[in-house]
Parts: sequence; C-alpha cells; structure tokens
Amino acid sequence: MGEQAALAVEIRDVRKRYGSLAALDGITLRVPRGQVYGLLGPNGAGKTTLIRAIVDLVRLDGGEVTVLGHRMPDARVLAEIGYMTQAPALYSDLTAEENVRFFAAIHGGGDVDAALRFVHLEDRRRSVTSTLSGGMRTRLSLACTIVHAPRLLLLDEPTVGVDPQLRAELWDGLREMAARGATIIISSHVMDEAERCDRLGLIRAGKILAEGSADELRALAGTDRLEDAFLALSAAPS
Amino acid sequence: MSFRRTLAITTRVLAQFRHDRRTLAILFVAPVFILWLFSLLFSGQSDPARMGVVNLDRGPLGEAIVQELGSSDRVTLEALSAADAATQLEEGDIDAYLLLPADLSATALQGSLRPELHLRGTDPGAESTVARALAQSLPGAIAAVVQSGPIPFALPTVDVHTSTLFGNAELSTIDLLGSAFIGLLVFFLVYVVTSVAFLRERSQGTLERLMASPLKRSEIVLGYMIGFTMVALVQAAEVLVFGIWLVGIYNAGNLALIFGMEALLALGAVNLGIFLSTFARSEFQAVQFIPLVITPMMLLSGVIVPVSSEPDWLQVVSNVLPLTYAVEGLKAVMLEGRGLESTTVQVDVAVLAGFALLALVAASTTLRRRVD
Repeated sequence: MGEQAALAVEIRDVRKRYGSLAALDGITLRVPRGQVYGLLGPNGAGKTTLIRAIVDLVRLDGGEVTVLGHRMPDARVLAEIGYMTQAPALYSDLTAEENVRFFAAIHGGGDVDAALRFVHLEDRRRSVTSTLSGGMRTRLSLACTIVHAPRLLLLDEPTVGVDPQLRAELWDGLREMAARGATIIISSHVMDEAERCDRLGLIRAGKILAEGSADELRALAGTDRLEDAFLALSAAPS
Repeated sequence: MSFRRTLAITTRVLAQFRHDRRTLAILFVAPVFILWLFSLLFSGQSDPARMGVVNLDRGPLGEAIVQELGSSDRVTLEALSAADAATQLEEGDIDAYLLLPADLSATALQGSLRPELHLRGTDPGAESTVARALAQSLPGAIAAVVQSGPIPFALPTVDVHTSTLFGNAELSTIDLLGSAFIGLLVFFLVYVVTSVAFLRERSQGTLERLMASPLKRSEIVLGYMIGFTMVALVQAAEVLVFGIWLVGIYNAGNLALIFGMEALLALGAVNLGIFLSTFARSEFQAVQFIPLVITPMMLLSGVIVPVSSEPDWLQVVSNVLPLTYAVEGLKAVMLEGRGLESTTVQVDVAVLAGFALLALVAASTTLRRRVD
C-alpha cells in the first residue's frame, strides 16, 4: 500500500456545506494513476470546491480524501501536486519567467525553460505579466502549475480564453504528461475537451450524476452528441 | 522549515519591488518629502516670526538690542507700547514680544541683563525662531554698547525671563519631535506597503496557490519579513542620513543604536502589516486600519504630547503600545545621548524586539490555510 497504491486520488463520501447550500453532497470518486479525469458540470455545481478539497483548501464536513497513498491532510504530498486555480493567480508585476521560477522554487525546483516552452511563452519570458493577454496569462498559470513535474495535476478550467488551436496543442501536452504517468483531474464545461478525457464525471448540485468514458455516457443517454448526453443525464431524476 | 523555500519568497518579494517603481518611490521619496515639510514647519526658517518690542529702557542698551534684533532676518520687529503688545499677543497678531524694562541698562551695569520675553505658546516653530533670534542678538547688542563706550561695564550675565501666554514653552521643536519622528515615519510607511502587498497576495489568488504548495505558513511570513525588512533598512538609513545631516535634527547618541531601533520598528511593522491584513478582504480595508490602529498608536506614543501629560487612564493605554517605547528610546538616545548601558534604553529595545517577535507569531498563526 502507500506508495504502491494504484489510485492517485480516492475520495470517499466527501461533504461540504456553506450555510444551507450543499456544495459537496456525498461525493465518492476513484482516479487511477495516469488517468485524465474530467469533471463536467455547470457553474456552481461544486467542481472548484471538489478540487480544493483534494488539496485540503476547504474544511470538510465529512468524508475522506487520499492522495497518492497519503490520507489528507498531509503536507508531504503537496510537493507532488500541481494546482491551477480557476482565475490565473499570478504576480502581475513580475515577468513571465520570474513567476514560473518562483513556483518552481517553492516546490523544490523544476525546469523553467521546458515549462515556458510547453505553453508556447518562451518568446514572452521577459514580459511583465500584466502586459500579457488573458489567454497568455492562463497559459502562464499552467506553466507555473506543471514546472515542478507534479505527479498529480489539478486543473480548474485551465483553457478558458485560450484559442482552439493552442488548446489542441495544450491537450497534446497534457496527454503526453499522462502517458508518462501523471494523473490529471481537470474541470471544464467545454464538451470538445471532454472527448479527450479518459473518464468523465458529471457533477451537479454537489453530486456525481454519472461516470464513464465519453462513449459510455453517450450510450447511457442514448444520444449521439456528448452535449445532449450531458443535458439528458443532468435532467434525469437521480 | 526550509531555508530554500523561505528564500524563494524573499527573492520574489524583492523582484516585485524592482518592477513596482511607484511603491519604491513611496518608500524612498515620501519620507524625505515628509521630513522636509516637517523641517519647514518646525525649524522656523521659512517665514520670519512676527515679534514686538517694548523698549522702556532709560539707558543705551535697550536701543542697541532693538537695533540688533531689527537687523535679524529671522524676525520682523515692531516697536509697541506695553498695552498694545499685550493685546496683539492675545489676538495672535504677533508671536512674541520682548519687554526691555526701564532699569535694563542699570541692572546690566550691575552684572545682570534681564529682558522679558513674552511668548504666545501656541506656535513652537515661531517661538523657537524668536528665541534663536534673541540669543543671537543679545551678545551683539552688548558688544556694540561696550565698544561705543558711553558707559563702560563688565559683560553682564544674560537672564531672559520667559513667560508664556498659552500652554508651555517647548522651544526646540524640530529636535524634540524629530528624533521620534524618524522612527514613526519608517514604521508607518513599512506598515502601509506590507499590508497592501500581502493583501494583494490574497486578492489575486496567489495565496491560495501558496497554501496548496509545500510552503509552511511560517516560511511565507518569514520570507516576507526578510524581503520587506531589507528594503525597510535601506529606507531607515536614508531617513537617518537625511534627517540628521540635511534637516539637522539634533543627535547626541550612537548612530548604530538608532539604526538598530529603527530596524526593530521596521520588523514589527512588517509583521503587524501581515497580521492585520488577515482581517481585511481588500486593499481598501487594509488602508482603513491606518486611522483605526496606526494613527492612535502614533498619537499616544508621546511624539506630540508627552505621555506624562495624558490623563491617567490614557497613560495605561500608551504604556502597552510599542511605539511609546520607540519614541522614548529614540529621544533618550538622540537627545540625551544615552546608550545601551542605560536601563531606559534597554527596556525600550527589549519592548521593540518583543513586539516584533509577537507580531511575527501572530502573523504566522492567524494566516489561515483554508480558503473558507
């Protein structure tokens, strides 16, 4: 067990309430190592809260989270995680390179040049972050997340504002990281991204409504398009 | 605790300063600008003070003093009757008047020069100017009378009888306030910059990222403390050089000791800034702590009104505030030339160090890991 566990993330009956609102209403989830797992759901479904729960940023009302064989909270495992917040959280007065270098340093080191190349920002490395476009900032935020070669990536809507061609390239990069053993949990509400995940979880009102590959979900709903499947499964009484 | 990770925070903080010219300007231009304003207000070298003179002297000395004072560019002199002088002083038309009694020359012959200086007591700057002008004029006037020689007499001892209409006479204001002021200036500016910088860390979402990283909260606070204190030390040195050599604030003490006390104040200010920023949700709210916390601390520190003249209950408040000890310590060192061998200074330094440490612990422990 421990390091040998086949699961990268195991979430068991996790609950979190904000007043009368159940942000997480008994979510159970298992993500094997090397898998790209997509969390699909409308805004306010609980995707961000779930991702925060994995890195121990919210105080849970119930349930337990195990990451890379360590029962959370466990500070040791944090160096193995790359967490990308929904809005690009960067130091706007630092250059692109200084941002990446800083996040590498606090995680114990990493390849700054490779991270900047990964998001195609090597030409803008000396640009001050506040001068970058929204899409560039999102990419820079991703570079800061992957620079220390984490074994688990938690990406909260990482491709917002990134144009389709670059998004495809970023996905190629993510698939490559997964092929080399990294586990990726990614939240999105863009359906064409969902197609590129190994497994999807439909989340709504703090509950997982359905789980499976894109094909499985289409078959389950009896529709041809994933979007229709998503709408059909969301509407179905659980 | 990892030194590398702490250093990463420090390096980043310093890099941000390099890119943020405006904040650097606030830190390095503002204290010089404020000190300069301050020196204009209190050193009395801008506008000459308005002074009246009532010359009742039957001998030659009174006229000589009037002549000498009249040629000083520190004061504008107006000859008045005793009644007019009293009224104008009351009305605020003049800052002070000099009364030269009828027996001035006569008593001077007997060895004692006894002019009366009447001050309004409300404008320390003007009154220190008047006192300086008088101190400079008297020897000249005496010399003039002795040289012209109508009545040869030995040099009299000068015994200016000073009375104040309102308040009490604090003459060398720039010296009295300046020593404490250079410490408070560093404290205030470092607090403002740190609290806003740390709040931005929260509002731009990077704090959430730091919390999801292996960084410990103590490493974040220490990293910030080292980075900001390094900048603050340069600022403290600048303020010291400008204040003592250019503004001319009186200093009889050890410069290294003064710098050390400023450094302790800066450390406390950084940690207090981080601590208080955990209770604010926006930069605006962080700034709101200034009138609420920082200004009262400064007012009660004894910098303007001595702590001993506060009401008893307020003295209790003053005595638990760290800035009170900073003001006391800086005054003891700079005005009285005391060093670390003095018990007062020892207590002051210990309190400042204790405050910096307490604020560090408070900042590290109140920094919440979780976002909810």
